[in-house]
Amino acid sequence: MAVGVRRMGKAEENKMGSEVTVPAWAVQAYSRWRKRRMAWFAGGICAAVAALICSPLLMIPGGALMDSMEMRRILSPILGEGEGFAVWHLLPVYPTMDHFYRLLIESPAFYQLFWNTAGMTAVILLGQLAVGLPSAWAFAAFRFRGRDFLFGLYVVLMLLPFQVMLLPQYLVLQKLHLYNHPAAVILPAVFSTFPVFVMYRGFTQIDAEILEAAELDGAGELQIFFRIGLPLGKMGVQAAMVLGFLEYWNLVEQPMAFLEEQAAWPLSLYLPQITISQAGFAFAVAVMTLIPALFVFALGQDALEEGIAYIGVKT
Amino acid sequence: MRWRSKRLLFLLPGVSGVLLFYLLPFLEVVRRSFLKSGSGAFVGIDNYRAVFENGAFVLAVRNTFLYMAVGVPLLMGISLVLSMLLRNLLFRRRLVSAMLLPMAVPAAVMVLTLQILIDRQGVVNGVLTKVSEQIAAFSAFSAIDYFNTEWALVVVVCSFLWKNTGYMIILWLAGLAALPKEVEEAAQVDGANRWQNWHYIIRPGLSGSFFTIGMLSVLQIFKSYREVWMVAGSYPQEHIYFLQHLLQNWYLKLEFDRMAALTVILSLVLLAVCLCLQNKLDSCEKREKNF
Repeated sequence: MAVGVRRMGKAEENKMGSEVTVPAWAVQAYSRWRKRRMAWFAGGICAAVAALICSPLLMIPGGALMDSMEMRRILSPILGEGEGFAVWHLLPVYPTMDHFYRLLIESPAFYQLFWNTAGMTAVILLGQLAVGLPSAWAFAAFRFRGRDFLFGLYVVLMLLPFQVMLLPQYLVLQKLHLYNHPAAVILPAVFSTFPVFVMYRGFTQIDAEILEAAELDGAGELQIFFRIGLPLGKMGVQAAMVLGFLEYWNLVEQPMAFLEEQAAWPLSLYLPQITISQAGFAFAVAVMTLIPALFVFALGQDALEEGIAYIGVKT
Repeated sequence: MRWRSKRLLFLLPGVSGVLLFYLLPFLEVVRRSFLKSGSGAFVGIDNYRAVFENGAFVLAVRNTFLYMAVGVPLLMGISLVLSMLLRNLLFRRRLVSAMLLPMAVPAAVMVLTLQILIDRQGVVNGVLTKVSEQIAAFSAFSAIDYFNTEWALVVVVCSFLWKNTGYMIILWLAGLAALPKEVEEAAQVDGANRWQNWHYIIRPGLSGSFFTIGMLSVLQIFKSYREVWMVAGSYPQEHIYFLQHLLQNWYLKLEFDRMAALTVILSLVLLAVCLCLQNKLDSCEKREKNF
């Protein structure tokens, strides 16, 4: 049963008992029925919303497998070639692998872009593990002077949108001669304070007593970090990695601002360049962009949900 | 003092990177906002005045504010209602995952489907026309030109909601899960109805989450620029010309004077909002403790 049966209210029970004689089992059955109806109602609304949210994604596989002629016919009003309105076929009438063939076999540029994206994402995440993880541990486990101020600064930096940091970062990248180099996107992201915050929240879930006990037993700083901190706080680290992957797989503004050469661009900038007249091909690229993201989403879902919850709730 | 130096090593690489890539360049921008680029002459608040006198700035502020005023309450309201409904459901996890799915969808992919659905001659208008032909009352429906009229803001708000509802639901659910169950159970035993349960128990208990989620919603508003830019480019319809467009366009035109001033203004506003919410949050927590 979806909803736990609530106990009958005392007042209600007394009233029922004194005025009319309805057997207790009937009252219980009635309230159970009401609650079940409520659960069905709530479940129905939520399921409808979930379906609505997911429905646009259903267009993607069909689009990637659709023959160019068919695509042209159903989208002709959008392409400016016809009256009336575009329609969409969830299942293509003439399915074809043409677009994937063109993308995966005939255009080597795709692999370049794909590995650009993958490499950039991997380097950023590894860098965050190397730099952000120890910082997060320091904020969670150590008390030192200026800690609160420094952490407050981290939170404020995490909340600033990219456009506000655009000019500052441009200036520093220019000074370091990194403009137009992949490091221009990678380095600021490595030192991003958001993953530090998420990992910190994961570490604060650990009981302080455990750490104190370890210290009393003579464990060193590194031992405590690797043997106790990491195993117990790994949910936060995983969450930061999953959130980071979804973010950096989808980078748009940073490469657009700091990378001039198209050869260094990630996939997420390449896709919008394909015009709607090549929608089938664009959908094939979309599928290839979507697959790694969905894969990570499916694998890291628990961590993702837990991580988002960490962001919001102070513990 | 060996242990202290070791502890410092944990923090040092991260903090130095933050200093180098965030804090110091930001301070440099603050300095530059009072200077004329090129000559480097001190111009006082001229750059700031130039920002406030700029017509595009006024438009962008108005649009960004309107977007926030519509988007944030809608997002928070919808996700709160959904999380209240979801709270006791058996299939909660599946449904939440489905609602969270947009987080995994790259902006470019979303924009591709949007172009087909929301064109003036797109699928959505086609369906609406078909429906209106069936129902006499709506027969006056004429195709909406979404991206060239004020409907653009509606589309932007809808896609913002689409992308972020799941995210906020998880935050609300975490806030709800942190409420002590016993209080609610006791109230139910005493015969509290649904409204009383919400008004006297859940609502006060969620006030801490309320401010956090409000802040994160504002943050998501700023982040949603990515999708807007991808759909409409650097010079979109005038109702969806936001502050981020302005910064981005000034950046491309190398107008660093005004950009520095605007960067400082925006970060001060955001800092003020942050501190204000933090203050509220702290007072909420204090009240809870006293309670």
